[in-house]
Amino acid sequence: MNAIPAPDGTLTARYAELGAGLIPVEPYISPEYYEREKAHIFKKTWLQVGRVEEIPEAGDYFVRKLDACDTEIIVVRNKRGEIRAMHNVCSHRLNQIAYDRTGHTRKFFCKFHGWAYDLDGNLTGVPDEKCFFGLDFKDYALTRVACDVWQGFIFVNMEPEPKMSLADFLRPMYGDVEGYPFDKLTVGFAWETVVDCNWKLALDAFQEAYHVAYVHGNSIADAIDKTAGGSMPPLDALCGEFHRRLSLAGNQKSVYGNPKAVTSGGAAAAEALSDAGSKRPVAAAALRAGIGSARHEFPLDALPKGVNWTKSANWLFDINVVFPDFYLSLRPNYCQAYNFRPIAHNKTLFEARVYYPEMTTPGGRFFLEYMKVALRDVLLEDLSTLERTQRAAETGVKKFMVLQDNELLVRHSYHVIERLLAQAEATTE
Amino acid sequence: MEQKVIVVARRADATAADASTRAALPAAFAELNRFVDAWALETETARTTRRHTAGMPAIVEFKDAMLARVDEIVAWLNQYTLETLPDDAKTLMYLLLSLAEVAPAVEFYQQAAVIDGYDPFRFVADETFSMRPVV
Repeated sequence: MNAIPAPDGTLTARYAELGAGLIPVEPYISPEYYEREKAHIFKKTWLQVGRVEEIPEAGDYFVRKLDACDTEIIVVRNKRGEIRAMHNVCSHRLNQIAYDRTGHTRKFFCKFHGWAYDLDGNLTGVPDEKCFFGLDFKDYALTRVACDVWQGFIFVNMEPEPKMSLADFLRPMYGDVEGYPFDKLTVGFAWETVVDCNWKLALDAFQEAYHVAYVHGNSIADAIDKTAGGSMPPLDALCGEFHRRLSLAGNQKSVYGNPKAVTSGGAAAAEALSDAGSKRPVAAAALRAGIGSARHEFPLDALPKGVNWTKSANWLFDINVVFPDFYLSLRPNYCQAYNFRPIAHNKTLFEARVYYPEMTTPGGRFFLEYMKVALRDVLLEDLSTLERTQRAAETGVKKFMVLQDNELLVRHSYHVIERLLAQAEATTE
Repeated sequence: MEQKVIVVARRADATAADASTRAALPAAFAELNRFVDAWALETETARTTRRHTAGMPAIVEFKDAMLARVDEIVAWLNQYTLETLPDDAKTLMYLLLSLAEVAPAVEFYQQAAVIDGYDPFRFVADETFSMRPVV
């Protein structure tokens, strides 16, 4: 049953090392498997926690709870403009230092006994210092977390000295995405929810497009470039040592499926409006309102070669899954960044962010609201299956899942985790 | 000992203004004043709550009235920047954002909620997100 051959010419056959067999359900429902993932993956890997634009000034900070690492971290910009990360644990009697999710401060003060730390986590003040016994401040800094930035995305790593630099981790797969205009996407929206499902089950729902025609049949299915059969085959898929990518085409005669229309105008806008005017008049009104409003230009030929790497004229977006839990969808002039942060084997914090260009006019703001609300409702569709699927998986009725060629990324995800767990356990035993 | 610094969020949480404090619409759009109490709402959370509680007839009535004049509304608002909207324009801007909020209800689902969707009240917008737009 597991020796299913993949025909030549398929994506699956291209990645023969992943096989073409069934995928076990156990990793999605097992508390023990999750403990192994925590120990050998989440506590050893670079994890995306936010963007540099969220903390533009010295003293700006945010706090992220990382249950899979059993910790909470403070991410702050110091006085030299560098991003620092540290555990949110006081060196004295361990109270949390930051209570708010975001803020701005000159120093961090523990609210228990008033110990003070600077923006690098150095201990700078202790009330009644003379009552301690030869307290050396340099021994009691906040515990730093390895932190680095790629294209404006802030990553942390629980390993004090990560085995692989962030650049070495990302560049083999995403080096040719560097130069994407992230810095022009300065307006953002964020949502979050705790979903009662395994983190991989949630991620899997986003790393294939087979579901689009069905789950999104009422909303954006008409934004997708479909085959005669109604399905949505990807333009291409790429699988690496850790990461994976999928490129998808859109229906140019739709507002949602032709995002370049708002910044390119002209023929692209005319095409997007050709059907929408009658079928989706609010969508069409929003696009008319948005054309010409973006603060920056987004010429398609200026995109780095790794974006829309097949150079499809109907390109809609690329899904980039950064191992383990970061999903980055790149479009001509906006991007979506999701994290699937495990809380337990059957509980996941889903953080969703979308970054758009700043619009200079109220009409442009109307367009952004249209696009954002459509995206949010599409996410409500994506989320709708997750808890039901988890409950179904936990019945134990099915031991395996079967995947089609265009669900290659789900297969790759399983194999990467299995490989890393096996490697880690071989060296520790 | 060092002086304690009070930590403050840089921008206060956006909260829906009391309807009675909302400025009336500019005279050219006075016919839409009947929608101000229900739909001129400052936050995504307030607007989505309205969408899910107003009922489809009220949504369609609001959409029809707005859509009939949407290009005029946009043109009138565009005499300002987002940062400099006077109070009457802000009221109109919030109505326009509510039109975007109900767009999927009328153009995707023909009902207020996403069909078979995840609970919208569990998918919480972060109204304090530091990168959100000024309006």
